[in-house]
Amino acid sequence: MDDRLRETLSAMMDDEADELSVRRLLSHGEQSDVRAQWQRWQHVRDLMHQGHAPADAVDVSVGVRRALAGQQDSAMEARLATGVATRNWRWPAVAMISLALIVGFGAGAGWDSAAPDNGVAEYASAGATVSGSPASDPVQEVALQGLDQEQWEHLSRYLLEHAQHNSVGAGRGAVGYARLVSASAPAY
Amino acid sequence: MVYSLAISRFLRRGRVLALVLVALCVPAPVVADQSRTAEEWLAQLAPALNMTSYRGVFVYARGDQVSSLQIAHRYRDGMVEERLVLQDGGNGEIVRKGMRVVCVLPEQGHVQLDQVIPSGPFAEAFANQLMPVMQWYTPELIGEDRVAGYDVVKIGLKARDEHRYSHRLWLEKSTGLLVKSHVRSLRDSVLEHFQFTSLEITDDIADAELAVQTQGYEIKRDLSAEASPSPAPRMEGWVLRWQPDGFMPAATPRSGKGRAVAFSDGLAAFSVFVERAGRIAMPTGASRIGATTVYISQLQVAGQPFMVTVVGEVPPATAKKVAESVEIDDTMAFETAKR
Repeated sequence: MDDRLRETLSAMMDDEADELSVRRLLSHGEQSDVRAQWQRWQHVRDLMHQGHAPADAVDVSVGVRRALAGQQDSAMEARLATGVATRNWRWPAVAMISLALIVGFGAGAGWDSAAPDNGVAEYASAGATVSGSPASDPVQEVALQGLDQEQWEHLSRYLLEHAQHNSVGAGRGAVGYARLVSASAPAY
Repeated sequence: MVYSLAISRFLRRGRVLALVLVALCVPAPVVADQSRTAEEWLAQLAPALNMTSYRGVFVYARGDQVSSLQIAHRYRDGMVEERLVLQDGGNGEIVRKGMRVVCVLPEQGHVQLDQVIPSGPFAEAFANQLMPVMQWYTPELIGEDRVAGYDVVKIGLKARDEHRYSHRLWLEKSTGLLVKSHVRSLRDSVLEHFQFTSLEITDDIADAELAVQTQGYEIKRDLSAEASPSPAPRMEGWVLRWQPDGFMPAATPRSGKGRAVAFSDGLAAFSVFVERAGRIAMPTGASRIGATTVYISQLQVAGQPFMVTVVGEVPPATAKKVAESVEIDDTMAFETAKR
């Protein structure tokens, strides 16, 4: 792996890589080297930030490729599910989030700003927990934005009804109403 | 919080009433001195929620949705009156006087709110659940802070297992009023956020502040009416083979359309809907809005397709496990529930 690739990898960590460089990185012959380097750096960074190491041996390249290809992999969908206008995003943010998700160790400081989504990395953590327990499979994500009008309405009804259980009648004060109002907000 | 990914990920959660009841009624497990203080605060929360008079504006955020509401809440002569006015989007308000609730809401897409306003005595159903919250959450006094101009104490309720989310509550010091709350993930990032941005705790709230002022489609419900002989949840035709420890059936929605049962551990809740699969084909899997997970799964019973939906403030893995544990034992029970 030459210095230029290393530089790209480093830039990715700082959320500053451009798409071309990342494509170059992904097409590099020695993907295992790239992965190893990425993991080492993440390791170091994580130790510096958190005092513990992230999950080892996670291959994020697939997710990155998908992000590049604009496919809706689970990470993307999860983000879509939060209703973020993705088109306006700089690519690195997209890839970073995918990475954060797939690697599942949260995000470093540089990614914080790149993740205005809510459930996504969160979801990753939940997913990590899931995979940690042998009995269950990872949970498949459905993008709310992928729903058509009828499906959304159907879903809305569930959300509302659930909110109802906990709001108006439940005597839980203002907070209960808030969820209800939120649930009755127009479709994404 | 280093792990917290973004400012915009927020959450809050009320769930407080049952919590308080629990705090009041359940002998606390052996805890550190600090925690005992937290429990005392929690015990104060239920009365504080209803019996404090105040006006203010709060924001509620989950996922990328942020709602802002203005509220006036008055407790006088044993009766709670409150009025909430939507501050974003269309005009709308919710006015409550005792158990009577009037909603004036703007066009809600194509969803009719009156379809889902319960006609049953939910308050009773919930209030009668004395659930040992402390068994499932570890209370902790985290510190002091200032919210909306008031000094507050910050209390953590950390989930004891991975089936539920943790909560954080900010209580105003003199009254115990909940002024801010978070629902936090397993990794301690904020999924849902509730917070007063302006607040005035005062007994001086005029009647006019509590009157309906918006013109629009009104929906009225008297929550105390129609007292049901059996507030017990009805799981007609199906059973739940698994639910996280501590989640008990809490209330039965009376909208009559679905087959829904709510479960609560006193702090968090999820609802399970079991229906014949209708003409609308729903994708299966989990979706999330802040702390709220919607998990949809399909199953075939005696050649007939059924749809199971779990909605709640629980992690996706929990929702999935619950949905997959639904077992339909009597397809005939669904005959009356055709939509």
